[in-house]
Amino acid sequence: MMIEGTQEYSLNMGPQHPSTHGVFRMVVHLDGEVVTKVEPKIGYLHRGLEKMAESRTYTQFIPYTDRLDYLAGPHNSLGYVQAVEKLMDTEVPERAEYLRIIFAELGRIASHLVMIASGSLDISGWTPWSYCFRDRERILDLFEMTAGNRMTPNYFRIGGVSQDVPEEFMPALKSFLEDMPEMIEEYYGIFFGNEIAQSRMKSVGILPKELAENLLITGANLRASGVQYDVRKAEPYGIYDRFDFEIPVLYGCDTYDRHFIRLLEIQESKKIIEQAYKDIPAGPVMTKVPKVLKPPVGKVYHRVENPKGEMGWYIVSNGSTKPARVRIRTGAFVNVQMLPEIVKGWKIQDLVTIFASMDLVLGEVDK
Amino acid sequence: MFGKGLLKGLSITIKRLYGPNLTEYYPEVKPILPSRTRSSMVLEPEKCISCGLCVNACPNQVIILTSEKDDKNKKVLQTYHMNMGRCLLCGLCTEACPTKALKLCQVYENAVYHREELLWDMMARSKQANISSGKVE
Ligand code: SF4
Ligand code: SF4
Repeated sequence: MMIEGTQEYSLNMGPQHPSTHGVFRMVVHLDGEVVTKVEPKIGYLHRGLEKMAESRTYTQFIPYTDRLDYLAGPHNSLGYVQAVEKLMDTEVPERAEYLRIIFAELGRIASHLVMIASGSLDISGWTPWSYCFRDRERILDLFEMTAGNRMTPNYFRIGGVSQDVPEEFMPALKSFLEDMPEMIEEYYGIFFGNEIAQSRMKSVGILPKELAENLLITGANLRASGVQYDVRKAEPYGIYDRFDFEIPVLYGCDTYDRHFIRLLEIQESKKIIEQAYKDIPAGPVMTKVPKVLKPPVGKVYHRVENPKGEMGWYIVSNGSTKPARVRIRTGAFVNVQMLPEIVKGWKIQDLVTIFASMDLVLGEVDK
Repeated sequence: MFGKGLLKGLSITIKRLYGPNLTEYYPEVKPILPSRTRSSMVLEPEKCISCGLCVNACPNQVIILTSEKDDKNKKVLQTYHMNMGRCLLCGLCTEACPTKALKLCQVYENAVYHREELLWDMMARSKQANISSGKVE
């Protein structure tokens, strides 16, 4: 309630603000220090990717998919190439399927590490940030040595992957997996177990289960609100049904749990990669596909669990070399709507933490 | 006990303080990138058969080439330009090249002062030793 003689203050935060994680802008209405209302303003990173897809051939669009959620490039491409493969009824060689899983899950770990890192940075924790980035760097090195680029690897192709991994990849992956338990222990020790971090995050920005379901929140944000839902289990794609892993779920619904669940998911991704590392067969990594791809007339919808939430690809083909329509459903875009609901009544410092806990990537929000 | 977590965190950072250094002294020490890294392009004009497959593979119309027919009715490359301001360095062009005339290389210091300098004349560049060797010197 406003004190008589005072008035509401509206503050423009972003698009160039270090803690909006990109070019997100919000208009924050304040009563003193207390947030009364937040209006998200999006679109600063809009590149028209859906339209671009329509003016490029099916293969030519693959590099652009990495630029949706640029913190976890491989998983976006996975959704796209699998959608086109579904449309064309293409089989993918076994080895390529395993490589795709390894890359997609490494991407998930990298993305979650950035999330934890920036979450800690937003409450002035510099050290955890540098630790997470140190380890993410090793994942990016794995991407670079195989696919040629760190954040936008452009590795998957329709019908397989672009090339086999180099000799040094498997030993490097093994040593990374071996070092992971110690890394996770460190993250816990320097960030999650830290009382200052806990008191800043626990019971802050509650997203109740019903609200999360009504807002169609997906991904780790939903799972931190007590709903055990993950496309990898609900509707397994690729070869995810062959792996033994859990879907972590937390019931705290607060900022702390939304951070902590990422750490639990990193551990599950590690399990998947370990199994894939053990079972990966030798063989070709690409099937025979025509040089000029012309999928039959028809439409397809394919969804995957990307690190930011559920990602869906709707592709309409008119039988030509270019798609007639591409629609991308991204998790982060839908997740934006939880922000105005959960920040009401919190202080402006909490707004930054709450925003970080949503793990938005503007490449995915604005497309 | 309140503060136990803080002490635990402190002990981890102190342990790391005496660990190895992870940062690099760039630009004094230049890292050598893996051989698959896509950071620049190099053309070997003698190998190019002017087939235009690279032009068609590119999603962004980066490559502009011209060729002429010689007396044996064979195409000979005349000019080859790349508009690097539009290039994604996605590597689809090098994948499409049948003779491997167009290759990726690991020269990564590509910043220029003027926009016009982004139009690379690949035939001229192929004569510069440091670029055709693919190494940053
Ligand atoms: S790397 Fe990609 S964008 Fe650049 S010229 Fe080659 S195909 Fe075109
Ligand atoms: S694809 Fe290779 S051979 Fe053909 S024009 Fe391009 S560079 Fe020359």
